[in-house]
Amino acid sequence: MISLAKVRAVTAAASSDADLISAHAAGDPYAFSELVKRHRDRMWAVALRTLRDPEEAADALQEAFISAFRAASSFRAESQVTTWLHRIVVNACLDRMRRRQTRPTVPLPEAGPGEPVAPRDAMSDRETSLMVQAALMELPEEQRAPIVLVDVEGYSVAETAQLLGIAEGTVKSRCARGRAKLAKVLGHLRNRIADANVPADGVNVQEQRQWEGR
Amino acid sequence: MTGMERVPMGPPWSVDLIADLHAGVLPPEVAAQLRPRVEADPDAREILQALDATLEDLHALPSIPMPDHVAARIDAALAAEARPAAPVVSLDEARKRRNRRLGLGGAGVLVAAAAAFGIVLAVSPGGQGPSNEAKPAPTTSSQNATPPLALKSDQLGSAVGDVLKAQNFGPLETPDRLAGCLKGGGITSSGNPLGISPITLDGKDAVMAILPAGLGQYRLVVLDPKTCGPDKPEGVLANTTIGAK
Repeated sequence: MISLAKVRAVTAAASSDADLISAHAAGDPYAFSELVKRHRDRMWAVALRTLRDPEEAADALQEAFISAFRAASSFRAESQVTTWLHRIVVNACLDRMRRRQTRPTVPLPEAGPGEPVAPRDAMSDRETSLMVQAALMELPEEQRAPIVLVDVEGYSVAETAQLLGIAEGTVKSRCARGRAKLAKVLGHLRNRIADANVPADGVNVQEQRQWEGR
Repeated sequence: MTGMERVPMGPPWSVDLIADLHAGVLPPEVAAQLRPRVEADPDAREILQALDATLEDLHALPSIPMPDHVAARIDAALAAEARPAAPVVSLDEARKRRNRRLGLGGAGVLVAAAAAFGIVLAVSPGGQGPSNEAKPAPTTSSQNATPPLALKSDQLGSAVGDVLKAQNFGPLETPDRLAGCLKGGGITSSGNPLGISPITLDGKDAVMAILPAGLGQYRLVVLDPKTCGPDKPEGVLANTTIGAK
């Protein structure tokens, strides 16, 4: 028991994620669990916000952590451990999203007033969070994933493009579309402006295509 | 750059166009010409502010702690991965061959987990003595396309990986029924199982549940759905604990 406790203490005291990966590769049985403990809440948030369904998020994370466990010994410190782990988690989520293509996302109404749920002033922080979370869940998947990574998780456009395997311009334009929808639903845009300025579908498509991929 | 990009006319501009400007989608020379005009227009400026406020909302989203049952399930799956491979290679090989014969080939996780757990399990089958001969799983199933996992009582650990992925109560149907059957075996467990799936144990239809059992430990319980219940300990076919001691 004492020796096990000692090993755990050493593992937990390891100073960096990279140290934990090295310890794992060297056969430390606790190193990987410690790494998972450090990052699981962040990864859970990403998986849940990307996939929306807690069961699916749990399945995706389990798959992701097991495959990270197996691949960790070949990890090379070219990227941050968190980026590497994120990539594995995001890929597991994307795989699941692709597999369930038959289950369509309910899109936000494209036209219409986009009536906010309640006046913003009257809401507590917690209510605001719940409303933002709910609005995020309603975005189409292709917009939700980049917004989760860039605007919620704080990844750069370049990192997000790499994680999602799409062009940086596509990340930017998908974020732009998603943010515009969220601004309406969250009540930041006065209805008059939203109505007056929202063109019929497709008006900007050509411009968007022209600028995407840059 | 072609230098030919048109600067969109306005005001007014669409919300989407201003969102593009805000997100840096537009080519730099277009953005450079458009930005001062947008900022001079009160309605457009309001849209920019709305987008900023939206970003603030997104930045301020709190982290979401992983629920305990998900954390426990992932810990258990990683614990199964972390087990050293069985030192008796021939045993492992024999199991692989047998599993293949039983139609379980291809279940890599299962075989790996068998190697991982097979040697550390101390199974205490409830009530009846274990049969030494594994019988093939029923190959016909009217309910499911895939037959349930076929296990022998001395290799329960081989199913951990698969059962953890499942929340299939099978013939037990409900969490209440499961709780009743566990009570019959004197097992208390709060919350949902980490994983649950119909199996066959020594050829007999059963349900395996994996439950948290304290720090780093997990309880494997196999129940006979036909006989188990609150006052029927005989319905618990196996009950063992795995994980760090």
